Amino acid sequence: MSTATITAHRPGPAAWVALMVCEAKMVIRDTAGLVVPIGLPLLIMVMNASAASDEEIAHGRSALDVYVLPLVFTIVLATIGIVNMPSFLAYYRRSGILRRLAVTPASPAMVLVAQLVVSLVQAVIGIGIAFGVALLAFGARPPVNGWAALGVVALAIAAMYAAGMIVAAVAPTPNSAVAIGLVGFFALGALGGLFGGTDALPSAVARVGEWLPFGASVEALSDAWAGTPVDGAHLIALAVATVVGAVVAAVAFRWD
Amino acid sequence: MSESTIVVDHVHKRYGDTVAVDDISLRVAPGEVLGVLGVNGAGKTTTVEMIAGLRAPDRGSVSVLGLNPRRDRAALSQVLGVQLQQSYLHGALTVAELIGLYRTFYPDPRPADELLDLVDLHGQRRTRFESLSGGQQQRLSIALALTGRPRVVILDELTTGLDPRARRRMWSAVESLRDETVVLVSHAMDEVERLCDRVALLDAGRVIALDTPAGIVDRAGTTTLEDAFVALTGREPEYEEEAA
Repeated sequence: MSTATITAHRPGPAAWVALMVCEAKMVIRDTAGLVVPIGLPLLIMVMNASAASDEEIAHGRSALDVYVLPLVFTIVLATIGIVNMPSFLAYYRRSGILRRLAVTPASPAMVLVAQLVVSLVQAVIGIGIAFGVALLAFGARPPVNGWAALGVVALAIAAMYAAGMIVAAVAPTPNSAVAIGLVGFFALGALGGLFGGTDALPSAVARVGEWLPFGASVEALSDAWAGTPVDGAHLIALAVATVVGAVVAAVAFRWD
Repeated sequence: MSESTIVVDHVHKRYGDTVAVDDISLRVAPGEVLGVLGVNGAGKTTTVEMIAGLRAPDRGSVSVLGLNPRRDRAALSQVLGVQLQQSYLHGALTVAELIGLYRTFYPDPRPADELLDLVDLHGQRRTRFESLSGGQQQRLSIALALTGRPRVVILDELTTGLDPRARRRMWSAVESLRDETVVLVSHAMDEVERLCDRVALLDAGRVIALDTPAGIVDRAGTTTLEDAFVALTGREPEYEEEAA
């Protein structure tokens, strides 16, 4: 066979679909990775829903709508983006799966994309379940500014995944990816209202928390739900987090 | 002589202060099975990883079917089948799922049943990779290397961890690849003598002998390849523990 007869042939749609199905099976068969990002936010929502659903905040939206659901949605996105996804990628790298794929027509980048898509589906399912239960069981109402809320969710997904890619880039092992991811999740969460209102934090710390992905997501979603204009600073914060995370990951991410 | 399928030309590779490959040159002809023998640390795996495009040489050049394994990876991966030493796969996927996945990567893959027959894993097709024995994992890795009907096959420690029956099965599989060019890294003298047309004997990152197995035995003035290995390298060959 001569060189002239060998042409680069990247796998087609069937390979992409097969890879995504396999990634989905990996997530489904990893019980903790499946249940925690969906079950934990749902639990938090249910625990707070009864008390929060009676108090109207603005435009007929209750505290459940304006405060609890934005927090719950952000927890779903942060758990998947910052903890789950990096641990999968670190496991793939550590175990040699990415290296093995590097000698096939499927590039390791295909795994990355497939994992992102599956994570996205998982996030949509997690948000959908939480919102569905809130609507049906606790009388929650949709955001006053639905398009703004969708836009914020999309931006928050990008920011959380970018943060997760930093974790995947710097973590040498799957265990360290989980550890770094959890520290990142709780640190961003603590500064962004995960453990209660940020009013209790020193004002400077609370301000910083608002500009980090978790806090910015909660605040921007809360604005969209209440029908007040979304603060541009929160959107910029999410966009900057996305860009910084993507650049750091592009520079530091190792395939093997 | 026909154009060589694999050309390794004055290749060097270091890891920090350690010289892994020190000016290795070799050529592999179309359809040839080249054995690469040497003790641990001799530079065998680094050499084949450079042929596979997984590592870049510090100096020198590598060409496979006229392609640069690093620069032309997308094209070369169509015709290259690689079984890596200590390769791992998606642990929660079954044998059938993994073979199905890898088949989608190639335009004309071997049928799944043919691959399962080849490595005798029909009975484990619904078993997850993480639940397979080491030998079964190795056999699956070999099946995946052959999925795309490769023209060039790299097998790093083909039968390490396999029981005698599985070893013979793998040998038969390699013997069925006589149209393909094969680079076989091994510790096993019997395997190399049986399967390989020529053997590159590596020691401390250098090729110290490159000949047919019989030629190496003659050159060393011994009667077996194992004795020749000891005579030429001054080292005892390493043996894996017998697989269960």
